[in-house]
Amino acid sequence: MNRWLNRSVTLVLTALIGWGLWSVLHWLLLAADWRVVVSNLPLYVVGSYPVDQRWRPLLWMVALVVLIGFTLLGPRRGPLQRWLPLIWLAMAPLGLWLVAGGLVLEPVSTRDWGGFTLTLLLTFGSGLLALPIGVLLALGRRSRLPVLRLSSTAYIELMRAVPLIAVLFFGQLLIPLFLPPGLEINRVLRAVLAFAFFAAAYIAEDVRGGLQAIPPMQREAAAVLGLSEWQSLQLVVLPQALRIALPSLTNQAVGLLQNTSLMAILGLVELLGISRSLLANPVFIGRFLEVYLWLAAVYWLACTAMALLARHLELRLDPLRSDR
Amino acid sequence: MTVAIRATDLVKSYTPGSRALDGVSLEVASGEVLVVMGPSGSGKSTLIRTFNGLEKLDGGELDVLGVRLDAAHEERPVREIRRRVGMVFQQFNLFPHLSILDNITLAPVKVQKRPKAQAEQRAIELLDQMGIREQAHKFPAQLSGGQQQRVAIARALALDPEVMLFDEPTSALDPERVKEVLDAMRQLARDGMTMVVVTHELGFAREVADRVMFMDQGQVVETSDPASFFTNAREERSRRFLSQMV
Ligand SMILES: Nc1ncnc2c1ncn2[C@@H]1O[C@H](COP(=O)(O)OP(=O)(O)OP(=O)(O)O)[C@@H](O)[C@H]1O
Ligand SMILES: [Mg+2]
Repeated sequence: MNRWLNRSVTLVLTALIGWGLWSVLHWLLLAADWRVVVSNLPLYVVGSYPVDQRWRPLLWMVALVVLIGFTLLGPRRGPLQRWLPLIWLAMAPLGLWLVAGGLVLEPVSTRDWGGFTLTLLLTFGSGLLALPIGVLLALGRRSRLPVLRLSSTAYIELMRAVPLIAVLFFGQLLIPLFLPPGLEINRVLRAVLAFAFFAAAYIAEDVRGGLQAIPPMQREAAAVLGLSEWQSLQLVVLPQALRIALPSLTNQAVGLLQNTSLMAILGLVELLGISRSLLANPVFIGRFLEVYLWLAAVYWLACTAMALLARHLELRLDPLRSDR
Repeated sequence: MTVAIRATDLVKSYTPGSRALDGVSLEVASGEVLVVMGPSGSGKSTLIRTFNGLEKLDGGELDVLGVRLDAAHEERPVREIRRRVGMVFQQFNLFPHLSILDNITLAPVKVQKRPKAQAEQRAIELLDQMGIREQAHKFPAQLSGGQQQRVAIARALALDPEVMLFDEPTSALDPERVKEVLDAMRQLARDGMTMVVVTHELGFAREVADRVMFMDQGQVVETSDPASFFTNAREERSRRFLSQMV
């Protein structure tokens, strides 16, 4: 009796999956019209960036891909490996310089930034800003000074209670009010700041979790060796805490990348924004499925790369598994 | 005879109404080994933790290597003392994210600003002296408890301390690992290090101590030379404690 039940369930499931696969394949190969993706590839990558300057964001992305490949597949020892963290950190200012211009390069206004380039810049920029702010907030929340402790806690709790989209809108409206008159910052920077201040609250909680996992005896051991409180934090406590927090920080980073798509609502033409403007074009009317599938694939690829990098970092930082 | 540590009437209370240290006075001469014994909760850890400022005093006065501490002490003298006094804990407390070598060279390089190469050379010498030279490039989690505790001793010695404090250094070890740590400490005593050792190891106390101090309920019950302490202790409380130990 039971065997019959098993068999029929298997049969029905196989049929369902087969039917699903068949319709997807059918749609992909026959019904789908991929021109909306193929003929607009440059737009997805760089948006309305000036055509004769497109090599700049492209160069940055090629550099990123090479760096990812080298990090994941390159030799585990060697002179370059020691510099890898610094090279990674340098990628953000490098990208900013290449895209924005200045120095020897022709300046390009932020209005012309777009596509995947903008998505990456938003992610890198807000991530790099949010991490130190988050660490400071986490330390503040554990501080002995009541003023610091209460204000950090209040900030973290407030930010976590407000949805990101609200923070982004507020950011666009409020940040200019805090600036001295005459100083104006553009929409992209405002979005990055609002995004970073939001993400910092979540990062702070992850870092706090890491800090809490460090036994107080570690601080004592550092203290009796004559290390100052700052040295003990910097050399003993934080390195261990960040290592513990790394998996959740990876989650934050992936979330950051995905949430940049919310900025389309603010009118930034990052990956999602550019896609929506393409869909508004009468030539490509109705090609939603193709575009969103393509977007899903791109986001998936980027997030997978991030997850792989994070996993790699975790292994490298584990003293018992990295063969140093 | 110069005095390394002089304590006068130390008082410490964690909770109002009960005193972990209740008027402790003692002197440790330089080059001397003082073993502190006493039942659990008698204030042994609290006492030696006041010596390098890990616990603040509520009363009394301390003179450690000429630096004075009292209930109102500030940060500066404490750091001066910590630079000159080494400490080894029951739980080793090595830094798990650093290699053995980096554990030992951290303070010499960052606190004493010694050149890294010189600090590493000294670290290797110390590891050699502790009999664990081969472990230099491993990480704490890869070592046995006895090896970790010897690294902890080497780490403290790397700052060339004038006094070493030990708080039950063998209590967290398997019995067969105790000897290797005690041997290292014995050698240290033979080389003339000033040591204050909290321990329950009667053999070590009998053989290495210059004096044994017995504490109970935050007070010093008696201080004697080991021979008389172990054969006929003056105080009834000491004798009762010793009879439970063997
Ligand atoms: N951080 C603390 N907070 C509150 N009370 C404490 C603290 N540390 C120690 N005490 C109390 O102070 C007294 C002395 O403790 P201490 O740790 O110095 O004893 P000990 O002789 O080292 O005992 P053991 O042999 O168990 O290590 C005990 O009553 C203990 O409960
Ligand atoms: Mg104790």
